[in-house]
Amino acid sequence: MAPGELVALTGASGSGKTTLLQLIGSLDRPTSGRVLVDDVDVGALRRPAVYRRQTVGFVFQLHYLLPALSVRQNVELPLAAAHMPRRERAERSNELLEAVGLADRADSLPSELSGGERQRVAVARALANHPPLVLADEPTGSLDSVASRQVWRLLSGVRDRHGTTVIVATHDPTVAEHADRSLHLVDGRLMTPEPPERHRVPGFAA
Amino acid sequence: MTALSQTLSSLRHRPGRVFLTALGAALGIATIVALLAVSAGATQTAGNFVHLGPGELGLFQSDASDPTTSVLPTSLMDRLRRQPWVSDAMGLQLLVSAVPRAASAIVFGAAADGFETRRMVFSAGHVYGSGNEVVVGDVLAGQLHLHVGDELTVSHRRMAVVGIYHIGISEQDEGAFIPLSTAQAISGHPGEVTTIVLKLSPGMRIPAAKRLIAKRFPGLMVITDPDEALRAGANGQLIENVTLVIVVLALLIGGIGVMNTMLLSVIERRTEFALLSAVGWSGPQVAGLVLAEGLVVSVLGAAAGIVLGAIGAGLLVHALGAAAFVSPDVTAWVLGRALLIGVLIGILGGLYPAWRAARLSPARVLAQT
Repeated sequence: MAPGELVALTGASGSGKTTLLQLIGSLDRPTSGRVLVDDVDVGALRRPAVYRRQTVGFVFQLHYLLPALSVRQNVELPLAAAHMPRRERAERSNELLEAVGLADRADSLPSELSGGERQRVAVARALANHPPLVLADEPTGSLDSVASRQVWRLLSGVRDRHGTTVIVATHDPTVAEHADRSLHLVDGRLMTPEPPERHRVPGFAA
Repeated sequence: MTALSQTLSSLRHRPGRVFLTALGAALGIATIVALLAVSAGATQTAGNFVHLGPGELGLFQSDASDPTTSVLPTSLMDRLRRQPWVSDAMGLQLLVSAVPRAASAIVFGAAADGFETRRMVFSAGHVYGSGNEVVVGDVLAGQLHLHVGDELTVSHRRMAVVGIYHIGISEQDEGAFIPLSTAQAISGHPGEVTTIVLKLSPGMRIPAAKRLIAKRFPGLMVITDPDEALRAGANGQLIENVTLVIVVLALLIGGIGVMNTMLLSVIERRTEFALLSAVGWSGPQVAGLVLAEGLVVSVLGAAAGIVLGAIGAGLLVHALGAAAFVSPDVTAWVLGRALLIGVLIGILGGLYPAWRAARLSPARVLAQT
């Protein structure tokens, strides 16, 4: 995959999409073989937390926001892990919440938000540390069509504005159509990758 | 957002559980505070069995389990008086539980002309002359409404009250003095005393005197301050030992309580910790969060326990009928130890759950939810 690509991973349930994302994100280690990200074997990292903090932003199908923390505190979680000073954290979280259109909900609890809003907070959290790689596992799987479109615009916008590589595991064929390219998995095996420009839809990005 | 604010937010989210866990720790620490306070009070009390002025030493039998069970021959007094470094020696026979109407009062048997006896200031009457006379401390006299001319029963012996005195030492003002020979007869130890108080010759220093006693009079314990008195006192020692046992139990029970709660919390919040790990929190950072939560809960418990314990100490000595005998002493050292125990409970109880939280596999946990 080239830097700055928006790649869709498609395949039936159990085909290995989530596992592949977890291996790329160093949430899991391969039992055999290697996963190289920028020529680094991420399965052999001694401090995978540092890699996850600096290189990867995760968006999951479920938002996984911490219920006891406010929207702002949730967004600041990766920044706290990186020991960013309080003022900088506040500036960065304001910036992110502004970008996802939730600046006015910064002090709300996740329970006070709609499903779409929670997932937008999750996207903001994934982007907190300016990761060069965003891994999204069915990010719109539990959202209605309007909320799905908003989340998609955010992810593709990040790619367009910052050159972030975005890999999205999805069941949704329309989502796959909007990606730069689509990789299809069957029983853990990658089927024929299609050329990069084929599925590019100009003007889709927000 | 700091780890501390996240800890507090998480705790605020589960107030009921925090309260119950803190209550468990509080009860354990309250017990410790009460016992430590009583123990500290007993230290003072033991020191007051004998009033020691400057240049004075108290001698007890070295293997006595309690100051009141010490037995020394009166002949020892004569030998001591012959030492050039000794100015005077006086024997005291201590009788406990000898006054039926005041169980905690101590009756001191002493010669009427001894230097310890001469410290008495009489508010009524005079010192005893015959073997059947008693002088009563003003506090005890107030408690029992005794006056000169009344009778006081000491170990089934009816004795005439001939004086009411004040010395300024609580143990003695809450007790009574009788002639040494009478006390020896009551105790069944004629020719023996409980303790000998030595007045050193001018210029003789206490450390040098202690060395001389250890060399020339083996088998004696020399007491110069209340802490040493406590070492000779089985009552104080018993409280110290019981306190140690309770401290260990409180650490175990409180630690297990905190551990149980935190473990349950970790299991319930597996997704939360897996998410933290996924967004870049390291194992030690996740563990630190769990430890901090356990610590905050147990320190809250310790704070509540200190207040409960300070109140409970007074209730404890009243319940044991020892209010006149022991005054609980809630010192900064007692409070400091209680707080330290609270911190230890938090650390001990939080270690294993923290380790579990740090070792959660985010891939496995997030795949299950």
